[in-house]
Amino acid sequence: MGLRKTGTPEPLHAVQTRDHARDTAGLLAQLRQGDAGQRRWAARDLAAQPEAASALGAALLTERDGAVRDALFTSLSAQVGDAAVAALLPLLRSEDAGLRNGAIEALAGMPDAVASRIAGLLRDADADVRIFTVNLLGELRHPQVRPWLLQVLQEDTEVNVAAAALEVLAEVAGPQDLPLLAATKRRFAGDAFIGFAADLAIERIQAA
Amino acid sequence: MKTAAAARRTVITDADFQKFRDFFYRKTGIQFDDSKRYFVDKRLVERIEATGAEDFRSWFVALRFESKGQELQHLVNAMTVNETYFFREAYQFDCMVHHMLDEVARRKPPGGRIRIWSIPSSTGEEPYSIAIYLLERWALINDYEVEILSSDIDTTVLAAAQRGVYSARSVGQLPKAYLDKYFTRRSENEFAISRDLVAAVEFSRVNLCDPADTRRFRDIDLIFCRNLLIYFDDLSRRLAAEAMYDALSPGGFICLGHSESMSRITSLFNVRRFPDAMVYQKPLGGGPP
Repeated sequence: MGLRKTGTPEPLHAVQTRDHARDTAGLLAQLRQGDAGQRRWAARDLAAQPEAASALGAALLTERDGAVRDALFTSLSAQVGDAAVAALLPLLRSEDAGLRNGAIEALAGMPDAVASRIAGLLRDADADVRIFTVNLLGELRHPQVRPWLLQVLQEDTEVNVAAAALEVLAEVAGPQDLPLLAATKRRFAGDAFIGFAADLAIERIQAA
Repeated sequence: MKTAAAARRTVITDADFQKFRDFFYRKTGIQFDDSKRYFVDKRLVERIEATGAEDFRSWFVALRFESKGQELQHLVNAMTVNETYFFREAYQFDCMVHHMLDEVARRKPPGGRIRIWSIPSSTGEEPYSIAIYLLERWALINDYEVEILSSDIDTTVLAAAQRGVYSARSVGQLPKAYLDKYFTRRSENEFAISRDLVAAVEFSRVNLCDPADTRRFRDIDLIFCRNLLIYFDDLSRRLAAEAMYDALSPGGFICLGHSESMSRITSLFNVRRFPDAMVYQKPLGGGPP
């Protein structure tokens, strides 16, 4: 016993023979019907198949195993494109916070692909979707983030959406934003949180 | 572009420092307390000047919204120290021989094989430190067969690791008895490691983010992946975490660098707190596919 010396002929790390077909159709079948291990590996291998994006997104809506979910999100994150964005956006409407947060995290990693969808999301009839979109803006590295946030503060009538936007904007606001912050405070004059968040942002700008 | 005179006037205010500190912690998990103010300010000013930004605010807005994440990567490189030497962050090696391996061994048959994977190998200081620790400080070393695997994406450092020649600075933390036992001094600043230790580490070229490279790593009991993920972007971190999850045996452990956090990347692993170190563990119930 002790330390094993290398150079032993025994093939310790040979690639294991796969038990199932690795083509798209075979992987999709395993994603739907396999055990958790098979579903996880199918999800990982489907990362290389952009045509499987919608199936990966659909699987997230029903998958209960955390390790499989993780692989599904990672594979969609790796696909970066319109199909992946389309597969992830419905998750923003989920009641499951884990799915929503996973979608936000994945979408934040594809700023160029998701940018064309932001304006529509900020006009969504569901205020929760608009809030989650603002949460996404908080993670998104894109030059339009600030204008989108300003648009929310100028136009959105739902106080919780405006509050979310204030929180994100506070980090990057400058002296040029002082009038809008004051206007937002006036527009939601009855809301204590908006007043607090606007004052905090103003304070930060003036301290810098 | 800022003039040289203006650059000299760049000042980081308390509010700037606070804003940067919050953002950097959120993105990397690295926390700077007030005692690091000088260190942080100096590097922030360097980055502001290097990018030609007018002031902290304009630099920070660009950092916050640039889609490629290049400035964030420059910042990570500036704020972290990339050096390797024998017995670096040895508290995790202590944890290995005091706790983790004993727990792993209890799940193995007598004489069973234990696999340890060190990635990135860099020039070999880490896998050889593991080997020395096992030989010198793990009471059960003669009862099990331990296999040490070590990988890196860079074939140049792999070749250096297999040559096994180190500077005085690199071996500076080793107890003299170990230095005498496992190294041959070739000159004032050159120490050659014993060929027995070189033979005890299986080196390989691996891209941790490429499933084709990592698929053959299976049934690993302990992974050291220290000070690597901090240099990855978010997606690469996730891909690396997935690869390590599938490489580990149920109950296997991962040691990350002191400024890294697996919990910020994925919820696949449980946190285990031992007296020597906090590490991550693949759930015992989760078997490989």
